[in-house]
Amino acid sequence: MDFALLEKGIWLGFAGIGFGALFNVPRRTLAAIYIMSALGGLLKFYMISLEFGLVFAAFCGSSLIGFLSVLAAHYRKAPPMTFALPALIPMIPGFFAYKAMVGVMKLTAEKDPDVYSKLFFETAKNGLSACFIILALSAGVAIPLLIARKETVKRIKVDKVLEMQLENLEEEN
Amino acid sequence: MEIVAKPNKYELGEMLLEIGSLLIVSGANTERVKVTISRIAGAFCCDSDLMITNHALMITLTYKDNIKTFTSVKWVPNMHLNFNLISDISTMSWKIVEEKWSVERINNEMKLLDRKPLYSRFAVLFLVALAGASFCRLFGGGMTEMILCFSGTLVGLFIRQETMKLKFNFYLCIFFASLTSSFLVGLYSFLNPGGEFIHALSTSVLFLIPGVPMINSFSDLIDGNILNGTTRGVNVLVIAFAISLGLMVSLLIFNLH
Repeated sequence: MDFALLEKGIWLGFAGIGFGALFNVPRRTLAAIYIMSALGGLLKFYMISLEFGLVFAAFCGSSLIGFLSVLAAHYRKAPPMTFALPALIPMIPGFFAYKAMVGVMKLTAEKDPDVYSKLFFETAKNGLSACFIILALSAGVAIPLLIARKETVKRIKVDKVLEMQLENLEEEN
Repeated sequence: MEIVAKPNKYELGEMLLEIGSLLIVSGANTERVKVTISRIAGAFCCDSDLMITNHALMITLTYKDNIKTFTSVKWVPNMHLNFNLISDISTMSWKIVEEKWSVERINNEMKLLDRKPLYSRFAVLFLVALAGASFCRLFGGGMTEMILCFSGTLVGLFIRQETMKLKFNFYLCIFFASLTSSFLVGLYSFLNPGGEFIHALSTSVLFLIPGVPMINSFSDLIDGNILNGTTRGVNVLVIAFAISLGLMVSLLIFNLH
């Protein structure tokens, strides 16, 4: 189990890097994106293996990415979303969305009521899972960014110094 | 301390509009555009009021020392993701505040900004294809499926880049790319009927997923920019529709279910 999880981490990192290149992130952020997407995804897979439920696991994984992106933003000097977005994409539930879509296609052609109800149940389940996981991902990554925005010490300090300078300027004028 | 000469009001307003539209095009959310512009305007002792929609940016600058105002609207072109530009502009806005740059200096620096993609076309193709193969592995695909997914993503992204160059409709480009990727995987599975290629098929179109508008939509909604959030959300839905349309066409062609 350990090695399987580790291997998933490696692939998660590559997926993050690929989307980083697609979004044209600065080169200095690539390593951080690799580590963050691996860690966030691993947390998600680990929680799934502990049977926490997909949506909650996705929420925790994306929250971890959100918090790490705030840290990385300080060390690598780039906005947090530069790190968070490419790292988050590997967690998107593409397989559920695909299943839901194929299910809808099959439903339009299905005539047998018994098969129809079974198929409808599966399609609704897959579609709802995809929706809620995406919602949890967005919420999980957005909330740490919102919290950090209020508490960034560096920015508050700069603003105060700036305001004083501006006041002095106006007085001199 | 050196006092910055009062800028011509037209220069300042137009520069702010240019910065704002660059940010929106590169994929920044509404709050970041608002914060960056009001930060720079604050460095010139101005109040800025913004109206941001998905395709237009409107600014009114109010100068503190007199009653003059400047109002202008700028059309914002289609989204072209470039996080490097966002990062550079953000760094620049802090330097403007701390080092008190003049408008001329900002305009000069804007010309020097790196607007071109950082990575060569082949590097992007290879890395995104590798990401596609990784997705396939994550969802449980084997070696053959990974190679299939790699080539499907590679060709699909190539098609998207080429159709974007030919200036097709944006959603049509996504449809073409999705159709190409899934067609390639579908063709292989049609020629090898014994195998199971569902993972390759479902992950070969994942590189088209509109992740940035999706997260931006949600963060705009949280910030209270409901209108922008809704607009971006609808955009995401239309893109998802284009992806599934392409996938559906190749599923119907090869009768895979």
